[in-house]
Amino acid sequence: MSAQIDTTAQDAPEGAVTTGLAALEPVAHLVGSTFVDGVPVLYAHRSAEQDGQRTAGLFFRVGSADETLATSGITHLVEHLALHGRQLSDGHHNGVTAESYTLFHVRGSDEEVVAYLNTVCAALQDLPVQRLEVEKQVLRTEAQRRAGGPFRPMRQWRYGAQTYGLAGYDELGARRLGEDDVRAWARTRFTRDNAVLFVTGGALPDGLDLSLPSGSRMPAPVPSSALPRTPAFFRGEDGNVVLDAVVERSAAAVVLAQVAARALFHDVREEGGYSYTADADYSRRDASHATFTLYADALPQQQSAVVGGMIDTVARLRLGKIEQSELDSARAQLLKGLDAPDLVSGLLPTYALDVLLDHPVKAPEVSRAELEAVTVEDLRRVATDVWSDALLQVPGRAGAEWAGLAAAPQCSESAVEGIRYPRVDDPDVALVIGLAGVSLTTPHGAATVRFDECQLLSKRPDGARTLVGVDGFHVVVEPTLHVGLGAPAVSQGIDARVPDHLVVDLPPRDPQEVPQPRPAPPAPPKERSRLGRWVDQRLDESVKTLNQVFFVIVALGVLVVLRAEPQGSALVAVLGTWALVQGAAGLAWWLVARRRRQLRAAGRR
Amino acid sequence: MPRKRSSAATPPVPPLFKTEETHPQIAALQAVAASGDWAAVMACLEGLSPHDRDFAVRYLADVEGVEGLLEAAVEEDPHDPLLRTLLADRYVHIGWAIRSAHRAEHVSREQFLQLHDWLRRAEQILIEVCAEHPTFALAWEVRLTTAMGLELGHSEARRRYARLRSLDPHRFTAQKALLQQLCPKWRGTWADAHAFATECSESAPVGSPNGAVVALAHIEHWLELDPPQKDTYMKSAVVRDALRRAAARSVRHPEHREDFRSVGAHNAFALAFLLGEHEEDAAVHLRVIGNRASGAPWDYLDDPVTYFTYFRDAALAAG
Repeated sequence: MSAQIDTTAQDAPEGAVTTGLAALEPVAHLVGSTFVDGVPVLYAHRSAEQDGQRTAGLFFRVGSADETLATSGITHLVEHLALHGRQLSDGHHNGVTAESYTLFHVRGSDEEVVAYLNTVCAALQDLPVQRLEVEKQVLRTEAQRRAGGPFRPMRQWRYGAQTYGLAGYDELGARRLGEDDVRAWARTRFTRDNAVLFVTGGALPDGLDLSLPSGSRMPAPVPSSALPRTPAFFRGEDGNVVLDAVVERSAAAVVLAQVAARALFHDVREEGGYSYTADADYSRRDASHATFTLYADALPQQQSAVVGGMIDTVARLRLGKIEQSELDSARAQLLKGLDAPDLVSGLLPTYALDVLLDHPVKAPEVSRAELEAVTVEDLRRVATDVWSDALLQVPGRAGAEWAGLAAAPQCSESAVEGIRYPRVDDPDVALVIGLAGVSLTTPHGAATVRFDECQLLSKRPDGARTLVGVDGFHVVVEPTLHVGLGAPAVSQGIDARVPDHLVVDLPPRDPQEVPQPRPAPPAPPKERSRLGRWVDQRLDESVKTLNQVFFVIVALGVLVVLRAEPQGSALVAVLGTWALVQGAAGLAWWLVARRRRQLRAAGRR
Repeated sequence: MPRKRSSAATPPVPPLFKTEETHPQIAALQAVAASGDWAAVMACLEGLSPHDRDFAVRYLADVEGVEGLLEAAVEEDPHDPLLRTLLADRYVHIGWAIRSAHRAEHVSREQFLQLHDWLRRAEQILIEVCAEHPTFALAWEVRLTTAMGLELGHSEARRRYARLRSLDPHRFTAQKALLQQLCPKWRGTWADAHAFATECSESAPVGSPNGAVVALAHIEHWLELDPPQKDTYMKSAVVRDALRRAAARSVRHPEHREDFRSVGAHNAFALAFLLGEHEEDAAVHLRVIGNRASGAPWDYLDDPVTYFTYFRDAALAAG
């Protein structure tokens, strides 16, 4: 990671905001602009390309943050389909689906660049949707490669399951998308009015055909929030410490990222060897804000020192002394970037993105002046902003409340009312299915997904379900784990209440992946109450006594009958009565024994 | 532990266990602090040698009610590192008093919550002090205790100690604090605790009291043992030799000059030798101690006064 030069940092003079190609006015001496087939195009006035190679990039103002969880991956699918059939011999090319834009990028000869751009535009108008299932498979393979990592949970915890939070999720929505969905997305988002092209290398090459449907410029997604309070923390997996914050874009924030990277490296790598990697990053999020990130890795036995070190590094930057030399050295490196021989070519993508995001474009000399004007005090101010918006991912048990950070919400605010299905192996945990939604309740709180806020319902053929709410909380429904949770309860209680367009069917699982209740430790038999034990004992004794008396009487009766004495009939009556009493006692004993068996069975769970 | 002897010999002078009793200057300092005259406190501290100052300043946290005075002083001078650190140290002291000195299994959940609450208040002050004044060693020292109580983990405790050591390599009070963290009762190991103690002793200039950390480590170890190991551990030649070596480098060394730290160091050696029944070794320290006992480590015993008196008389008679 490293800080990028943000040549369009925030503080534009009041009233200077112009949109579309007019925004290029401040760089009109460097950058030309025109329309080709209705697509705005930026190009450098002078060519500095030495090898007859050009770079071009076609931006669309649509990205993963424009999707929902149930359509997640749709932009990525369009990008893949549009590039299908391109060969590497067509020049070095690539497609990028970012959060707020999609970029088709190429480097090559004029012919290669023109061929690439023309084919991409043609493909966008008529996507090879017959490839849809294959490309979905490709997406899943790509997702596996980048799965995990410490940065995805940062998105989920900060934004929930929408807008910029979607970058933290698998592209599950792609599974349920059909040809019509993908075509419609391309027709409305990949339009000439929602695109900007840049081309390096002077005057435009001949033969461009950028025919695209008309449409409208899509506004940038409005960021969601799943963090009621900041600075906040959550517990992540071992091995990584990550702190991020959303700050206003500024030259000072760009410089601070450089200063912070060096400070963190010094504090956790050079000083104690607690980390191997320690770095900082500044990345533009949208027109006005950037994401500021600090990252350090750690061995499990060193990670508390990395957390402490990072907290102290940030504390020093916001409260302590930032040496002028730290600022100067970071600034010098950034200014060097502005001295690149072909600066304008390097800046064209940034300018194109500014035009696309309706953000004022800044000339390099303005960027230079802003960098030069940054003071230590400015850095301190940004560091204070970083801290007040911080989200920290910490490994280990200790959390970060000790450093003044609030725990990010671990539980939903409430559980829904409904039918309880206790866990087989833990009666304190229950799934609750109600009219309003689904909750998984535990003694420590509940995770709830309300049907009216449900973003996605995924289904497995084995009956398992996962519901994801807008705040990022999810509830996993595993019928094998809950008492009485049969297929009817799942289909009527859950499936019937979630609209089809939010439902994703997942393939069958390996039977070994279907969770089973944990075997209980060999627990002592469940304690009964004292009264219960007393009743049991008395019943045991009574039944034994009754049995003994019964046998004595039967023996006597046999003797009497054998002797055929007249008292025999009276004794038969006594025997009959006794048999009735014995029967009643036996029934009571059987009921008690059955209850005991049930209790023992419960104790085994 | 030897059985109590029925000797009726009454000590001529009863032992004193409180530091403010054995060190009148510290009592005077506490009295000034109790009056809230921080300028006078600073002046008193300035009048002490650096070692004595580092030692004495931690006793300001013992002053009942001093937190109110310190909070007012910090409000008036919010950037003063000493006042803020003293306030944090007082919060630590209050939290620890609630926790009590018992082992974790005897501390209630409510006590833990309150301890953590006080420690967090202290820690957050200290984060700021260390950020603003990274060379202010006292704040790093108090952060060893907050790290331990907040259970932040060994690597964080060691990181803090490393920061402190870079400022003050042989800070006796801090070494005693880290030793606690390294013991098994705070999830450490005896190997780590003894290695650290040895390093404190060996790396310190001869004549400095740091060797006593070795004695304290062995006392901690002995406390955790059950019979029959408990009866033999301190008597072993290995422990005895380690104690003698550490003592010879520190308070028994001809270059040792007495300061506030010396009494505690002599007492640590005295108890360690007495537990191993090395009365002659103990007598060397007990003669220096006189009636100046110290709370730690004697308060690990059920009846410190009786034991101290008994041991001292026995050792002095034998030695």
